Amino acid sequence: MPEITVQGLRKTFGQERALKDISFTVRDKEFLTLLGPSGCGKTTTLMSIAGFQRPDQGAISCGDRTFFDQATKVYLKAEDRNLGLVFQSYAIWPHLTVFGNVAFPLKIRRMKKGALRRRVLETLELVEMAGYASRYPHELSGGQQQRVALARALVYAPAVLLLDEPFSNLDAKLRERARTWLKHLQAELGLTTLFVTHDQDEALSLSDRIVVMNEGSVLQVGSPEDVYHRPATRFVAEFLGHCNVLAARVVTANSAGTTQLVLHANGKPITVSGEDLPAGDEVQLAVRPEAIELTSHESAVAGNTYPAELQSVSFLGDHYLYELSADGLALTVTSTRLLPGPAVTVRIPASACRVLPP
Amino acid sequence: MITSSASYAPADGARVRRLVPESGVQAAIWAVVLVCVLAPVLPLVYASVQSKPIYAAGRVFTLAPYRQLFTDPAFWAAAQNTLEFAAITTACSVVLGGSFAVLCSRTDMPGRRAFSRLFIAPIVLPPLGVILGWNALYGPGGYAHGFITQTLHVPLNLTSVPGMAVLGTAVAVPVVFLVCQASLSGTDSSLENAARSAGAPPLSVLGRITVPMLRPALLNAALLIFTLSIESLGIPLVLGSPQGHDFIASYLYNAWSSAFTPDPPIVSAGATVLLACACALLLVRSRLLGDQARFVSIGGRGGPAGGVQLGTILSWVLGAILGLYLLATTFAPIAALALSSVVSELTPLIAPWHLLTLGNWQTIAHGTFAHSILNTVEIALVGGLVTTLVVALATAVAQRSRFRLRRSLPFMLLFPRAIPGLIIGIGFFWAFLLVNPPGGALRNSIWGIMLALSIRSLTLAYFVMSSAFGTVSESMDSAARGAGASWWTSMTRIAFPILKPALYASFILLFISILNDYDPALFLVTPGHEIMGVTMLDAEQQGTIGPVAALAMVQVAITVLAIAVGARLFAPQARGKRNA
Repeated sequence: MPEITVQGLRKTFGQERALKDISFTVRDKEFLTLLGPSGCGKTTTLMSIAGFQRPDQGAISCGDRTFFDQATKVYLKAEDRNLGLVFQSYAIWPHLTVFGNVAFPLKIRRMKKGALRRRVLETLELVEMAGYASRYPHELSGGQQQRVALARALVYAPAVLLLDEPFSNLDAKLRERARTWLKHLQAELGLTTLFVTHDQDEALSLSDRIVVMNEGSVLQVGSPEDVYHRPATRFVAEFLGHCNVLAARVVTANSAGTTQLVLHANGKPITVSGEDLPAGDEVQLAVRPEAIELTSHESAVAGNTYPAELQSVSFLGDHYLYELSADGLALTVTSTRLLPGPAVTVRIPASACRVLPP
Repeated sequence: MITSSASYAPADGARVRRLVPESGVQAAIWAVVLVCVLAPVLPLVYASVQSKPIYAAGRVFTLAPYRQLFTDPAFWAAAQNTLEFAAITTACSVVLGGSFAVLCSRTDMPGRRAFSRLFIAPIVLPPLGVILGWNALYGPGGYAHGFITQTLHVPLNLTSVPGMAVLGTAVAVPVVFLVCQASLSGTDSSLENAARSAGAPPLSVLGRITVPMLRPALLNAALLIFTLSIESLGIPLVLGSPQGHDFIASYLYNAWSSAFTPDPPIVSAGATVLLACACALLLVRSRLLGDQARFVSIGGRGGPAGGVQLGTILSWVLGAILGLYLLATTFAPIAALALSSVVSELTPLIAPWHLLTLGNWQTIAHGTFAHSILNTVEIALVGGLVTTLVVALATAVAQRSRFRLRRSLPFMLLFPRAIPGLIIGIGFFWAFLLVNPPGGALRNSIWGIMLALSIRSLTLAYFVMSSAFGTVSESMDSAARGAGASWWTSMTRIAFPILKPALYASFILLFISILNDYDPALFLVTPGHEIMGVTMLDAEQQGTIGPVAALAMVQVAITVLAIAVGARLFAPQARGKRNA
């Protein structure tokens, strides 16, 4: 399967700049996710690739085919791009049966009747909907409609699969199952897939790589581990999972590849990994809640330990969520252990602190 | 989850007291519709089985009027003409109106926005004026008749039944267009985008996705046009009757106006027969339409509503064809009408600039002509507004309530259109005589006419509202009810605002329909309370063409003004950005 290249995409709606110089590549057989809050431009980007939105500037190509290039005025129509698109609303045609819906793209391609029938049933088999071929869309559940939409997008073996928040109309349990199932299918068929979502769990669990977007710009591109553990900006840190963001000032670089800082909230010193920080710089530290250690007694381990007071505890099944305060420094911490409160000691490991650019 | 010390107190007045139980509100709406619909019908049916008019002494129960009707060969000839006319008109107008609506709202055809407005134009034109305009242009001896029959070799004879159907189609297309457009605007464009991304070329998307999904609207429109065609009075009266081509309506009108004894029961019998036909049509409709739930699609973003791209050549060719159609069916007849209003006589034999005169316009500035203009506008405004609201509520009861008798409402709302307008007039004439007060007061003011014209337009509003309700998922107002809203609140605050385009369309349609309607008023008009249509018909039958054309132009002007004002008042807020 070819790869999709998006270069310097710009789009303005009236006064609003919906896309500001978007560039990324979906590699062959890759599962790439556009992740961001609503209004960040991810659907506009997807619809530009699909051919339903014409960008003002930039270029989009799929393998050696140019879909769009403002410089050379190339604009390929949506129906000529040979992409499989699944809409958020599924867009299952209400006047056709499940079979009719899935057969439609093949009829457009003038496939012979026997082959068409075989292919449709095969594809329905693939999405586990073979038993529903003669049903009408209104007789199906949301999850089933979503499978039909997927079958319809896959049946003609498109170059790339585009998915616009396909799980947002499903309930939580079904969503999780659909997620696993889609991942399997994608890996098994080796589909190059571009996925749009605002759900970070979906993005982390499905993607080979994630493109984090906000306000029409790409903030970071990387593997799920990359964007989670090494967020490029505060927005990325906070959008993907919970994150404590601590304001601090650089004091001095230490010898052992660490830097000494002072926390603004409580005036206490903190040591972080990394040494190329100029003294006097104001920075922000991102610390994941699960990286912070909690003990109920004075810790023997030196460095970055602070006495703290528990504010609240929530039980979340496989872990506890603690809200606590260390001399005015508010922290969110998760732990599998239940601690007797209210006095505890927190330790923030130097390696768990990620210095965010100002 | 996270324990919190802040308590969340329930909002004050969480338990809302309802002043009136919701079934009471619904029952009241139902009762209003029932009374309005039955008021003209019961006296009519009663009159059809009496030997003499209701006010006459010494009448007895008899079926003689029906016997008389069915043994009259003229009635059968008229019935055959009517069916032929209605069939041709319905078929042609549904094909044309549906295609135009799809082209204008789902493609990138050049000028589609302008076309969308212009296609509705023939509705706004006064029917008598249009008929006269067509007659002046395409009728025997008309301006363009020679060009069409001799140069283009099209055997157009406007006084024949197929000829009248050509005019009928031109008049009906806008109605189909409106109904289809209302339905299309409520359909998610992602359904079409999905077909395009699956590789379907533009025409294939239109033919295999858009049009099949339009089926409920097309069937709705077809039924509407068929019933409208069956009761056509103006077209046969002006064109066919003088040549002996009567329709049922003109047959009954002539039977009424030229009878030896006034108000013969045979007319009521004929109306009752038409009523039975209409009821049969309604049953067929409900069978054919099937389960509308199938046509409700899941809400959600469908991507931009870009429309199907036709390609440069095709779109310009189609645009040109539509332009020509509009020119031939609308602009040229208006031009002929306008010309008629400023000449003493419109004839191909003498150049019009030799016959220029302002006399026609001076004539309509005084007396009955001037009165009738004011009366008509007043009736149309009040009637349009009240009827839209009543029908919106009634449709809500019919489709979105658990009121026990709700299933009877669609039938009640479809009923009035099935009765020829002139018979509604007779019915109310009897009703006002029988129930007094308020009959006397209504009869001696314009409000009696308003009531009759509004009742006649109920169905029009219902077609718009029921199609529109069909495209809005019930979950919208269920959500409001779940949030604690009463039925009334969930309708007036949620469903109606969503349906605002349909309400707007309905009001405009009613205003125009009432403004241009005249058949029911023929029997209710009293001196000083004339309306434009009646004045025009009277003058036309006396052979005064010029002032009628001038009055028709006034009617056109009022309507255009009303639409301009309405568009400003009701223009939907500019839609926000739709995509993430």
